[in-house]
Amino acid sequence: MKKVVQITLGVLTAIGGFVDMGDLVANAETGARFRMNLAWVVLVGVVGIVVYAEMAGRVAAVSQRPVFELVRERLGPGPGLVNLCASFFINFLTLTAELAGVAIALSLVASVHYALLLPIAAFLVWLVIWRMPFERMERLFGLGGLALLVFAVTVWKLGPDWGQLFDAAASPHIPRDETPFTYSYYAIALFGAAMTPYEVFFFSSGAVEERWTERDLALNRANVLVGFPLGGLLSLALMASTHLVLAPRNISVDDLSQVALPAAFVVGKLGLAAALIGIFAATFGAALETALSAGYTVSQYLGWQWGKYVKPREASRFHLVVLLAIAGALLFALSGVDPIKVTEYSIVLSAAALPLTYLPILVIANDRDYMGDKVNGRLLNAVGTVYLIILVIVSVAAVPLIIITKGGA
Amino acid sequence: MTAGRVLDTGLQLLDRQLVDRSGRLCGKVDDLELTEPDEHGNLYVSGILCGPGALLLRTGHTRLGSWVRRMLPVAFDNPGAVIVIPLQRVSDIGSHVTLSLDSEQVPTFAAERWVREHIVSHIPGSGVDAPR
Repeated sequence: MKKVVQITLGVLTAIGGFVDMGDLVANAETGARFRMNLAWVVLVGVVGIVVYAEMAGRVAAVSQRPVFELVRERLGPGPGLVNLCASFFINFLTLTAELAGVAIALSLVASVHYALLLPIAAFLVWLVIWRMPFERMERLFGLGGLALLVFAVTVWKLGPDWGQLFDAAASPHIPRDETPFTYSYYAIALFGAAMTPYEVFFFSSGAVEERWTERDLALNRANVLVGFPLGGLLSLALMASTHLVLAPRNISVDDLSQVALPAAFVVGKLGLAAALIGIFAATFGAALETALSAGYTVSQYLGWQWGKYVKPREASRFHLVVLLAIAGALLFALSGVDPIKVTEYSIVLSAAALPLTYLPILVIANDRDYMGDKVNGRLLNAVGTVYLIILVIVSVAAVPLIIITKGGA
Repeated sequence: MTAGRVLDTGLQLLDRQLVDRSGRLCGKVDDLELTEPDEHGNLYVSGILCGPGALLLRTGHTRLGSWVRRMLPVAFDNPGAVIVIPLQRVSDIGSHVTLSLDSEQVPTFAAERWVREHIVSHIPGSGVDAPR
């Protein structure tokens, strides 16, 4: 049991990355709009994040240096600052959407308008960061997010023709009423969601928070190999369930409550309850992940003491940044901005900044100064390099696609 | 001090994390202080400069950098702070730079202390050790 619990860092990181507010909607939306024609992107994303999160976790375990320190050290202060601003901005938009997601999940139960619950959601997120020990936080929300497995149960219970579903996913094409541009836009949204940079910020900082050392490299591998594929599985299950339940009925997904529909249709009340718990835990987990990442990135760029492993007063500036990020995101969410649009843009925009985060990881994972004999093998470097090329292509295409498709419309 | 170790300062020293003697994080190697060239024209590293002022100066923002360097000590009630950490206070250089000082003795700690005293210590629970 102890071993099972030790992989919750990977599970929480992946759930926060793959099935947070933005992805819940993006996956459900792509399932309803593109059926299974974009499923392959999730697989490509899972392999990418597994490869890079393993490297980031290994660097953190061997040298105690988390990702944003590597960014500053390898890119230098100038480009490092560009990455910091981009990452902070993305974090902020995502945090805004997650706070809205937590509030919406609560409002589905409490039957009050979600805006009224926003301050409560923000306060709870801050309180957990301020007081709850890192490991307990990780277990509570990582394991809670597993309630989303109800979507896998949904697909199972529907008893689809598995061969046909697999064929549909394996021979992707652009649906007739979509253009290559909208297809690419949603492909980038899914890929960006899988490889969103706050996952590696959070995962590597979490490894330092939990005091991983060279002895924990197997644990690191187990975390990424269980956590991220599980995240990918959840997002595919979500996509398949909307493809099977909503697409035939011509229901498109534009808000969070519709995401839970397939589970309610197929599994009933219990399914709806599990879906709501899962959505709450996943959005709350992602809110923690992005709020902490705001503090991690700024502190690690400037060299401040950070982390939950010391008393809050000993990492004052870190906690101040986290507090300000949450307060700012709350105000932005209260301003009435559409949380779904916010996440969609933030995912695609984040794709534009991806190489700035992943290049330093690849370089340091090969640096014997940091890694001793734990440097990358040849195969890992080959895969890492291929992904870096993909990341560069994606980053160049991201912003033009937002403009051409007018945000995927 | 001996000339002992040769490092590529750009790759192996600049922008690394500073860690104090008890393992606390306490700044970055934002810039380096060099000696006057000796008879062979060699330069030696004599100290580590840290703080946003030093970083701005290094990246070419001379005006803003010297203004920040003048203003920060005033803003955080720490006048006359010297931001050079002499190389004698460096005990190890690896994936991070270890100092033989406490983080409180590093001049850039003034900002951390200010935030601690004026904001964070007023929030209940700020001094509680996170149970593990």
